[in-house]
Amino acid sequence: MTEILDFKRSRSTCVEKVDDNTMVSICRLQDTLTEAFVEIKVKLPDLEITDAKGEFYRSYQKECRQDENEALKKVTGVRIGPGMLKIIKGLMGEKTDCKELIFMVEECCHGVILAFTKKSLDRHSMEDLDAIDYYKDMVKKNIRMYNRCAAFAPGSILVEGITPPTQ
Amino acid sequence: MLQYSRNKLISIVKKEEDALFVHGVLDDDIYGIEIDVSIGISDLQILSIDGKWNRWTTPECPRAIFFLQEAVGFRVEDGFTDKVHKIIGRKGCRHFANLLVECCFSAKEAVQVVKWKDATKEKPDLSFDEFIGGKTDTSKNAAEKNVPIQVKEKSVKDEKKYIASEKKVSGEFFIDLHMHTSPASPCSSAPLDGLIQQAKQIGLDGICLTDHNYVWAPDLVENLREKNNFLILAGNEIITDQGDMLVFGMNREIKGIIKLEELRNLVDQSGGFIIVPHPFRGFLNFGVSDIGLTPESASQRSLFKHVDAVEVLNGKVTKRENDFASKVAAKLGLPTTGGSDAHEVAEVGKYATCFSSIINNEKDLVDALKTGNYSPVEFKKL
Repeated sequence: MTEILDFKRSRSTCVEKVDDNTMVSICRLQDTLTEAFVEIKVKLPDLEITDAKGEFYRSYQKECRQDENEALKKVTGVRIGPGMLKIIKGLMGEKTDCKELIFMVEECCHGVILAFTKKSLDRHSMEDLDAIDYYKDMVKKNIRMYNRCAAFAPGSILVEGITPPTQ
Repeated sequence: MLQYSRNKLISIVKKEEDALFVHGVLDDDIYGIEIDVSIGISDLQILSIDGKWNRWTTPECPRAIFFLQEAVGFRVEDGFTDKVHKIIGRKGCRHFANLLVECCFSAKEAVQVVKWKDATKEKPDLSFDEFIGGKTDTSKNAAEKNVPIQVKEKSVKDEKKYIASEKKVSGEFFIDLHMHTSPASPCSSAPLDGLIQQAKQIGLDGICLTDHNYVWAPDLVENLREKNNFLILAGNEIITDQGDMLVFGMNREIKGIIKLEELRNLVDQSGGFIIVPHPFRGFLNFGVSDIGLTPESASQRSLFKHVDAVEVLNGKVTKRENDFASKVAAKLGLPTTGGSDAHEVAEVGKYATCFSSIINNEKDLVDALKTGNYSPVEFKKL
């Protein structure tokens, strides 16, 4: 029996550095019911969102067929970093009920952070043993990472001998 | 030039009468992961889940697969995303959590398509828009909706019953200016009584309760001071468009995200004081140091125009982030403070602020803060 898909989604987030002080992050969504894009412009070194625009070309949800840009403008001035999600949700939530629009902004922001993560990892191509020391050192320097995921949870070799933050 | 890209592909097929089979792929410059999830059509409950790593970073990332099983039984409903990030993201891997959320919200959409397809068996001409038309209610539940900024004034009693000066007459006066209690701050697991006892035990002279967008009733705080014979003060950590701000001397409840400029005006009207806590939390993290942030450029941030002081010893950030905040504060000539940002009892007093005058209540605290005559200290090391 054939198994024809009932639903298909493709989401792509791309981050580009347009000049020394500016990055652009674009999230494009195309699925069976929705087609949309969101683009944010980010100023370095503060990672401050200086512009945001977007459009829903197709959506069955009424709340996503209204003017997206009024809600997107609310994130101008927000800095990408810890705590950004509650700020983005709070600011955009005053202007829109379209959860997908908010999610697309979040995806753009995560993309920017991951672009820097990639850059850092690029500099450290590691053998397994070096990798253990490298990540161990990273947790020691930033104890907030302790127990933040399976790799840095008690029992992992990457946190062996490291005192948990509250002790 | 492209610096980074992430592609997610979700495919959904109805294989059983009441189940959708979802295949999700996440492929970016760093990670390559896949999951297979089956989800009930009638109740949107996760029935089974399997995951696979194709590419990862640390040698221990593969451990995350095991924790995917904890999502079995979750329903795609209000609070689902937070639950997935908390359980799968924190215990397992946040990239798996991201893909799982994508798969499950796609499944929620797919259910509409499947139901529409079923409906067309009886009404072949029924369009998707017609099918969905009667169902799509765009009005939101008030509780779900982000509440616009609301400001409520609370009464303040003038009477002072707890007198710190009866206990201490002069010298250094140590207050932990930043901590969170449970349940007032959902992120905290520290009960108020536990915090107070711990603070007394380690020798602090006082603590300040700074729960997120939560106002402690002045009468209650006064009673706490008397009951515990200990200085307990009320402040507030308010979420603004420029990040969290510690506010003292303003007994107003603020809901939603307020613009920092607007908060500054309200605080000025109340004669209060604003400290920016952990201003560089996470900014000097893994990888992000590549942004080239310097104390000079950081001091240009507009937020510093609206604050009275900078927290440069915060118990939840790295030494490097605290040192950086200290350099920026020095550059700006702003006073500096310390606070544990405790979310657990054992964290109280890691850092504190040392005042040269005795403080008995919130008014004394604001007066003292305005003098600028205080300094941050590593209290537990003293």
